Amino acid sequence: MAGRAQIATKSSALIAMIADEDTVTGFLLAGVGNVDLRRKTNYLIVDSKTTVKAIEDAFKEFTTREDIAVVLISQYVANMIRFLADSYNKPVPAILEIPSKDHPYDPAHDSVLSRVKYLFSAESVASGRR
Amino acid sequence: MAEGAGGAAANGGSDEKVLDFLDSVDSYLTTMESLAPILRQGWFDLASARHSMGVFRVSSASLDLKDHSASTYLQMVGHESDDSFVGQPSFSLCKWASADNKSCCSEEEIPDSQLRHRGTSRLSENQEQNSNGDDSLKTVDDLVKKERAKTLSVFGTLVSPKLRTAQLSFETALEVLVEAANIRSSMLSAYSQVQKQMEDTREGEIGPIP
Repeated sequence: MAGRAQIATKSSALIAMIADEDTVTGFLLAGVGNVDLRRKTNYLIVDSKTTVKAIEDAFKEFTTREDIAVVLISQYVANMIRFLADSYNKPVPAILEIPSKDHPYDPAHDSVLSRVKYLFSAESVASGRR
Repeated sequence: MAEGAGGAAANGGSDEKVLDFLDSVDSYLTTMESLAPILRQGWFDLASARHSMGVFRVSSASLDLKDHSASTYLQMVGHESDDSFVGQPSFSLCKWASADNKSCCSEEEIPDSQLRHRGTSRLSENQEQNSNGDDSLKTVDDLVKKERAKTLSVFGTLVSPKLRTAQLSFETALEVLVEAANIRSSMLSAYSQVQKQMEDTREGEIGPIP
């Protein structure tokens, strides 16, 4: 079956957040908070009591919702679910790893940079030279 | 000679793709580095507001859990195929859109009257245009202030000025993040082009499989 024609579309979408309380509160001040009729929110506040499973479930939920275009996740939280974050490779929603108060941004751990740094690795250079 | 010229053109094209990719990686890293001081200022202002207003007033306990739509959201332009986005989607931030006024109230919007260029213009027409432009700007400004105040009201009627400055810091951080999302999109697109090119080159060197 031939592929469907690509249609340029313009749609509105939300920004989701998985981060600590201060970061989420700050972005909610900027007006990104959304609560639907079923009281489902577009954010998860991560604290010391939040389990890894809860973070994984929130990540899976936000990356499969059609009304979310960008997911902001604190990098230290992304490190807790690194395997899941690195295995995500869709263009939308875009996953952006952001710093937190106690954990500065480290490009070495960013999942999108990890994906593309293969081009700079010795293996890719060596295979190109064969 | 023709083959040499063709080969040179192909190399030039491939070099351009690699350069595009490297430029996008550099832009992404620069943008993410610029985010940290903005967020830091926002956290600092939030801590100051918490200090003056009280811990319980500026906490997740105050967050509005009644159903409401986001005032700030993204406009996404992309290409859909088989119910999924392909190619390079782009994002633009729409700030402070009210529930009553569905159009974006972002301060970055410039009314059309100010963008029109006319070959001949009369002073009165210009004055009327300027006054219409000023009126529409004032309306947008009022709507933005109203939406900002509505969001701040979750934390009480009287809020610390530091909470307002924290709000502005996080708004700025959102703009930077949307820029980062667009750069990420172009970086992944450039990466896939370079990767495809490398695979084509390898297949060309190996030759057809008998």
